[in-house]
Amino acid sequence: MPQKKFDGDIPLFIPRSTISSAENKTGSWRYFRPFYEEKTAPCSAACPVGADIPRVEMLARQGLFKKAGEIILEENPFPSICGRVCFHPCESACNRGDYDQPIAIHSLERFIGDTVLMQGIKADLQPHSTNGKKVAIAGAGPAGLATAYFLSRLGYQSDIFEAQPESGGLLRWGIPDYRLPEDVLKRETSRIEDCGATIHYNTPVTQELLEKIMPTYDAVFIGCGYGRPIQLKIPGEQWAQDGLKFLHRIRTGEPASIQGTAAVVGGGNTAIDVARSLKRLGADPIIVYRRRKQDMPAFEPEIAMALEEDIGLQELAAPIVIQKNDNHPSAADYGYTLTLQKMKVSATPIRGRARVVPDGDICETLNVDHIFMAIGAGPEAFWNPSAPTQISELTLSHCRIIERKVPVIYGGDLVNQPQSVTDAIASGKQGAMALDVYFKQGWGAIEERLASCRVGDGPALSMAAYHNAETKSRKAHVVSFEEINSDYFQSSPRAVPIRLAPDQRIQSFAEIESTLPKEAAVNEAQRCFNCGICTSCDYCRIYCPEVAVIVEKAQRRINLDYCKGCGICVTECPRNAMALEEEKK
Amino acid sequence: MKQVLEGSHAVSEAVRLARVEVISAYPITPQTHIVEAISEYCANGTMDARFLCVESEHSAMAAVIGAASSGARAFTATSSHGLAYMHELLHWASAARLPIVMAEVNRALGPGWNIWLDQTDSLSQRDTGWIQLYCEDGQEVLDTTLQAFRLAEAVNLPVMVVLDAFFLSHTFEPIDVPEKNQVDQFLPRLSPRIELNTENPYALNQMAGPAVYMEMRHNIEFAMQQAFSRFDEIENEFEASFGRKHGPLDAVACDDAEIILVTAGTTASTCRQVIADLRSRGEKAGLLKLKMFRPFPTDLMRRYLEKTQKLAVIDRNFSFGASGIFAQEIKAALCNAKRRPPVFGYIAGLGGRDVTPQTIEDIYWQTKNSEAPKSESIWIGLNEELVESWSN
Repeated sequence: MPQKKFDGDIPLFIPRSTISSAENKTGSWRYFRPFYEEKTAPCSAACPVGADIPRVEMLARQGLFKKAGEIILEENPFPSICGRVCFHPCESACNRGDYDQPIAIHSLERFIGDTVLMQGIKADLQPHSTNGKKVAIAGAGPAGLATAYFLSRLGYQSDIFEAQPESGGLLRWGIPDYRLPEDVLKRETSRIEDCGATIHYNTPVTQELLEKIMPTYDAVFIGCGYGRPIQLKIPGEQWAQDGLKFLHRIRTGEPASIQGTAAVVGGGNTAIDVARSLKRLGADPIIVYRRRKQDMPAFEPEIAMALEEDIGLQELAAPIVIQKNDNHPSAADYGYTLTLQKMKVSATPIRGRARVVPDGDICETLNVDHIFMAIGAGPEAFWNPSAPTQISELTLSHCRIIERKVPVIYGGDLVNQPQSVTDAIASGKQGAMALDVYFKQGWGAIEERLASCRVGDGPALSMAAYHNAETKSRKAHVVSFEEINSDYFQSSPRAVPIRLAPDQRIQSFAEIESTLPKEAAVNEAQRCFNCGICTSCDYCRIYCPEVAVIVEKAQRRINLDYCKGCGICVTECPRNAMALEEEKK
Repeated sequence: MKQVLEGSHAVSEAVRLARVEVISAYPITPQTHIVEAISEYCANGTMDARFLCVESEHSAMAAVIGAASSGARAFTATSSHGLAYMHELLHWASAARLPIVMAEVNRALGPGWNIWLDQTDSLSQRDTGWIQLYCEDGQEVLDTTLQAFRLAEAVNLPVMVVLDAFFLSHTFEPIDVPEKNQVDQFLPRLSPRIELNTENPYALNQMAGPAVYMEMRHNIEFAMQQAFSRFDEIENEFEASFGRKHGPLDAVACDDAEIILVTAGTTASTCRQVIADLRSRGEKAGLLKLKMFRPFPTDLMRRYLEKTQKLAVIDRNFSFGASGIFAQEIKAALCNAKRRPPVFGYIAGLGGRDVTPQTIEDIYWQTKNSEAPKSESIWIGLNEELVESWSN
């Protein structure tokens, strides 16, 4: 072997093609064809307003909060409110729940809503031109406000008639400050007047007023909610105060303090809110519920926090009589005696819920200074939509439309099950869309047109899809956890917002939970699988053996000259935003 | 600046200073500390590099082959079974002419399960076309790793930097860690000669039939032979910048030596002390430290060994059915030499057994007092009782 020194580059004699390998059009080998196909995320499908959560979280991760806010506001005018009080069915549906813990979607929604509010960001939503049509709306609660908002986005003018001196409905009068601070509510609901709706305060909508104004409007939306408390119909009920009215009084500024013991009858959110408010005013409340804790319709975290605040809970106890103890020597310290029938769980459930029946005739008594009833409310009698007649009528998921002289829509709590804020907003959106279809295409087109805007396979409707009917590309298929390529994700804990400690909470009505700080929000958004949507992660391109994924103007396409249909891109896609179909030769 | 560093981290520091772009590795004792530190550098931004976690050494080598094929400076590290698992791809990396650098910590192969020093793992990869450089101490490890990138990129062949398990990999010594800008001058960014490019795609490493395969092999050997002079140039340049030179061979007191000990790795350090002691007692003993094993420095070795009377080769490895591997190679190198002193092959310190100054002195006296080797391999320090129990 020569050991002679060789100057310059060592000659390389290696196997290497002299012509470009692009000559070899490997696309001719293909039997399967990959393509980009966005699908529906389970959170979006579970959200009553069909929020585009996977896209919002993607934008939040990128720090594009304004754009994220616009995507939310397209479907929901109240992210700061919903981020606080919605019971977030999105999180129960979240695929990440099958991996470690669901994304804290409500915390992120609240963060983005607050960021948009605090920074005074004006959402650049698609501009609209007014079409000259006017709609009357009864009630400035979430349903009525949402109706006005979505109508304005479609070019309609609205007048809202509200019995109270302020807007917000149950949000304003029925939810305590520690869950939904007044300034957040006011700043967010002012969005409705900003988009051109007029609110007539102190104007209760009576049957007479309705008849009078109807001829001057092109349509009417009735979203008055439930104002009439349900009666328990037990002797001595007149001694009990109504829970919802009590909450209303607190939010108008009275009373400053309440002393003594108090029984709160009920198991819904109002009962919990009343008990927790009483605690904050200085009283010692106990919740009395005829079923068990796990049967309570109130949101689970609210129940847990009430118990943390040292509020009593008496389960399986149904009130049967209230006595006033004016002249009752044995209970001199207490104002009232509540007699409770002990209940037990029956072996046969009813509609999926445990049924309770009296446990023989066992009774016990509870001596308290105050009694509050919070067992639900119903509509004022005349708001019950009239029974079907010969006139056209359409029952949708969140609305009921009756064609009278002009179309009349019943929405909000009047028709919704469950009666949640987000369902009320969904009702407003559905009503606004239905009216627009009615005016543009006629009564007969409503159902089909609305169905084309459904998010996934559920009732939620997408305003974005309504606006861009032609470009709607997202498939109704809801992505399951098995369709996520979880190799791309690492286990990480869910963001937990800072909360006041129980002993701090009960000192005042200060808000309990804080908005996530920016870093925590971005980190949380990073956990999102972004089910079904393309986030430009580029794994399809990186893993393509033929470099056949082309990116042009941030859009990806497959170069079919070279794609051999191996399907690696589809398998690698972390979030099921691609699909493979047989090549039609 | 001098720092007290573990031998493993001398490699990690060199890789950081070399601005390696892609690292892929799979952990194995006693190598793990090397890539552990590098992975931290990648994670905390100290290094602007991609660290690819893989599920095996086979994949680690495949990943750095891919990285090097696209023109990136690439590094991996392994040991023992990990190296054995890479075997197929070691051939591939060299024949694809990719300038990959690998740190290999000499560790015994099982069974019996053993994590300690033994040279058989790297020596049984001698025919894979990799340049092999054996280091004696932490400073040499750091310097050689930096030089290895220059050498690999000069001849387009992969380089294995070899260090002893624990005696070197886990021993802390004061090591001079050069400044980044000084290293940047010595080792500029790689200008790759092989660089896959999606804009102008071409095929690499496809079929090569009988008409060209032999020439390709000849071309690899041509590059191997050029490694001698290139390494020399690189070492001279390194010495000019950093003031240190280790050489492909290090001859200690060989000029007038009657008996020369030949060995590699940390054992050379112990030999240095024994040689000094023997010299002080009037013995004409010398040491030839073998650093460069591939390409094998036959000419240089003859120059030192032809003059002496006897050679004692200390192998911490063994080729079953033959002899110690260094001894074999030295015998082969001397076969066509003008003078051929007798070669005494000693097997010592396998599987991490200590090779003490006394062991080496025993080897010296046994060599001095024997006319010719009693056998091709003399096993030193065996437990005779144990051996007799099965040989009788």
